[in-house]
Amino acid sequence: QAAGVKLRLAASASATDARAITMEEVFAPAVADFATYEGHYGSSLFKQGTELEAISRGNLEMTIASAQELAEFFPEFSIFAAGYVHRDAAHQKAVFNADFMQPLKQKVEDELGVKLLAVSYLGKRVLNMRTPDAIMTPEALKGAKLRMPGSEAWLFLGKALGANPAPVPYAETYTALQTGAVDGQDNPLPNTVSMKFYEVTKSITLTNHLVDLNYLAVSKKVWNNLSDKDKGKLQAAADKTADAISAAIQEKESSLRTFLEGEGLKFHEPNLDAFRTRVQKAYLESDYAKNWVPGMLDKINAL
Amino acid sequence: MSFEFTACLVVVFLMAGFGAPVALSMIIGAIAYLGISGQDLALAGEQIIQGIYNSFVLLAVPLFIVAANIMNAGAISDRLLQFCVAIVGHLKGGLGHVNVLSSLIFSGMSGSAVADAAGVGNVIIRMMTKEGRYNSGYAAALTAASATIGPIIPPSIPMVIFALVSDVSIGYLFIAGLVPGLFMGLVLMIVNRYLAARMNVVVEARTPLREVPMITMRAFPTLMMPVILLYGIYGGVTTPTEAAAVAAIYALLLAAIVYRSISMRELTAAFRKSAISSASVGLVISAALIFNYIVATEGLPTQIANQLSSWNLSTIGFLLMVNLIYLVLGCVLDATTVILVVVPLLIPACRELGVDTVHFGIITMVNLMIGLITPPYGILLFVINGTTGIPIAQIIRHITPFLIILVGALLVMTFFPDLILFVPRLFGYSG
Amino acid sequence: MTSLLKMLKNTADNIAAAMLAAMFVTFLLQIACRYLFDLSLSWTVEVCLSLWLWLIFWVAAFCARETDHIRFDMLYLSVNKKVRRVFSIVTALVIICVFLYSLEPTLDYLWFYKIKKSPVLRIPLHYVFSIYGVFILAIVARYLWKLWGLIHPGLNKQREEREEI
Ligand code: NA
Ligand code: NA
Repeated sequence: QAAGVKLRLAASASATDARAITMEEVFAPAVADFATYEGHYGSSLFKQGTELEAISRGNLEMTIASAQELAEFFPEFSIFAAGYVHRDAAHQKAVFNADFMQPLKQKVEDELGVKLLAVSYLGKRVLNMRTPDAIMTPEALKGAKLRMPGSEAWLFLGKALGANPAPVPYAETYTALQTGAVDGQDNPLPNTVSMKFYEVTKSITLTNHLVDLNYLAVSKKVWNNLSDKDKGKLQAAADKTADAISAAIQEKESSLRTFLEGEGLKFHEPNLDAFRTRVQKAYLESDYAKNWVPGMLDKINAL
Repeated sequence: MSFEFTACLVVVFLMAGFGAPVALSMIIGAIAYLGISGQDLALAGEQIIQGIYNSFVLLAVPLFIVAANIMNAGAISDRLLQFCVAIVGHLKGGLGHVNVLSSLIFSGMSGSAVADAAGVGNVIIRMMTKEGRYNSGYAAALTAASATIGPIIPPSIPMVIFALVSDVSIGYLFIAGLVPGLFMGLVLMIVNRYLAARMNVVVEARTPLREVPMITMRAFPTLMMPVILLYGIYGGVTTPTEAAAVAAIYALLLAAIVYRSISMRELTAAFRKSAISSASVGLVISAALIFNYIVATEGLPTQIANQLSSWNLSTIGFLLMVNLIYLVLGCVLDATTVILVVVPLLIPACRELGVDTVHFGIITMVNLMIGLITPPYGILLFVINGTTGIPIAQIIRHITPFLIILVGALLVMTFFPDLILFVPRLFGYSG
Repeated sequence: MTSLLKMLKNTADNIAAAMLAAMFVTFLLQIACRYLFDLSLSWTVEVCLSLWLWLIFWVAAFCARETDHIRFDMLYLSVNKKVRRVFSIVTALVIICVFLYSLEPTLDYLWFYKIKKSPVLRIPLHYVFSIYGVFILAIVARYLWKLWGLIHPGLNKQREEREEI
């Protein structure tokens, strides 16, 4: 059967990233009998953070979106960008499939024309510092310049952790760590390895302050034009891909710890309660929490 | 190549050839492409707007242009010129050597060739052409050629991105760039020496030794500028992008307070001039970003990689072919895009053929930088035209010898990987 | 008329210079706050990027003369005045037509951004990006003016005056 629909995906992940590789190896063959998959990685088609608009305007079919990007349109999503909300990959999936998530998904479909197909795990953000010392409590971060992506939501997270957040572009972070323009950065271990931050830092403190996620998203218009059978196939392909990505990243996180220890980085277990209490308090007192769906946080915690 | 893409290129070259501004020609070509292929016409504007709005690193360019124009308006470059003449004026091609040396120093603080050409390049072109010492086309061509060294010597944004897609150590890549960068500087100086003799550049009388301390004293605060910027970056005070603003404020303080050589009127004029030239440079660079979208949509990188692997080349044949492809792509595409899109397609072949990835990374960098000065479509040529007003035709007339020697240097680096790899090996690299 | 145009152009240039100066000051503030007061400002990058966007299109729309633009004019300069006039008429016509052809979708794109705000200062992005629409309209107007001068050679003198300012 000739492949009818073209599914172009644009994402900021580089072609060598686990997400891109899984899309090519799992997703593409799974949709091959009714669609042609075409992956554009490394923001080569659309700049990072503009892919949702591109889908909405009919110029793109698929993307890998973050909760932070969705929160730019729908502040309700900022709950998933807040510290210490999700616990792990299984929790993320349970939240995504829960009944209380349905109105949010519907809103994204109706107002942006984007259908969220599946959620995948992106890793636990941890502190990666230039000094070998443990950061046991938020107080130990006082005054430390912590690199954060340059948007208000990220900087808020940095402040909530107790640090002095400094917005530095991702590509300049290595040099900033090397020269001491910043004292540390926070990213999941796979990013710390792929961006070679371990070459210029000495310790990892496992704060796990944000369990990051990605949504696999497709254009609602494209979805509506599919037959019910193909819709089922696309959904199944997305689920399978998201699970494979989550598994790949979890696998990486555990193997990379050994690798990083071999590179001389010290690993520390901080006082998680101290961090969790401080961060959750900061969020609940902030304007972000005002935008959350009432009662949502309790339902998430109850899952 | 599809009909739409061919039509797009024809439109761009016809419009630019007929004398329309290059940036407008590129926008028109892109709209033609989108129209013929039935896509959203707004994508041309979308790519330009988002390209500018998301490129923090590009912000160094207008600030270095401000710094250069303040130095020129405040007679700072004149003091620097007197100093350089006193030291190297009696040598054949002395100021040309200063041009190359300044790029080597500057490359240690900037990750961008455009910033080098627009900043320190602008100052040195003025020095070289003052009182008819050098032909302005020659000064511009040498500036463009030496600006390519910027991202070869660390810090370098393109190398960080290369490391991301190729899984090599940024530390080793940075160290590996040192010798090739110095080597490029050396060959450019040799060509400059030869051409200066052939063009019969006036050699000045040797400055009496007793006058040198006085001239040095007067230029000393200016000579401190690179020291301050380097300290700022390596001392962790500023990022390389922020260093551009430090350069501008330092130039302003020198001109306004130390030398008292700039009036409010001249300062305003310097800002107006900087605004217009940095905007024309920014417009060309961002209009060129539309081509990243078009080339990706056309699937060109994958086609090229497939073609390449179908030829079953030997290691050296592969590297030479890759060099050729880079040079062509580097003319049209942004270096970041080539690294993110094309390099991942070539890395597997590299591994199979046993090409060292650090070696491959440096060759990629040098190549993409040479693409910036390859006529007719070389961003650095446009940038120098935009900041100094020297006609592109004049720059192109003088660029050939530098282009040839840089390609020669590239071939030497291609054939002798040890030249690149011996320094990283001293630091423990096992490749 | 000419003096009014001169005054407008002068004002436009000063606004451009002010935007660049504001970028410069914002950058210095960012460095000073971090270095002297250990305080990282989050709005500075966004302000600089917005000013940079506005500077580029403001200058292209209102300040840059054709000679200020980066041009690849080897062929253009090598032909005689008559051929140059033909070249100029053709390029002006193409620019006017193609920019008008893309006008409606482009404005639609800019208007789309009323639903998204800038990352730090939360300014609706259709305001930030609106300068691109201004640029498109200004370029069409400028090339219409140029075309008018080109097809009425009697007005050539005035046109040259216009090019001077
Ligand atoms: Na550099
Ligand atoms: Na130079």
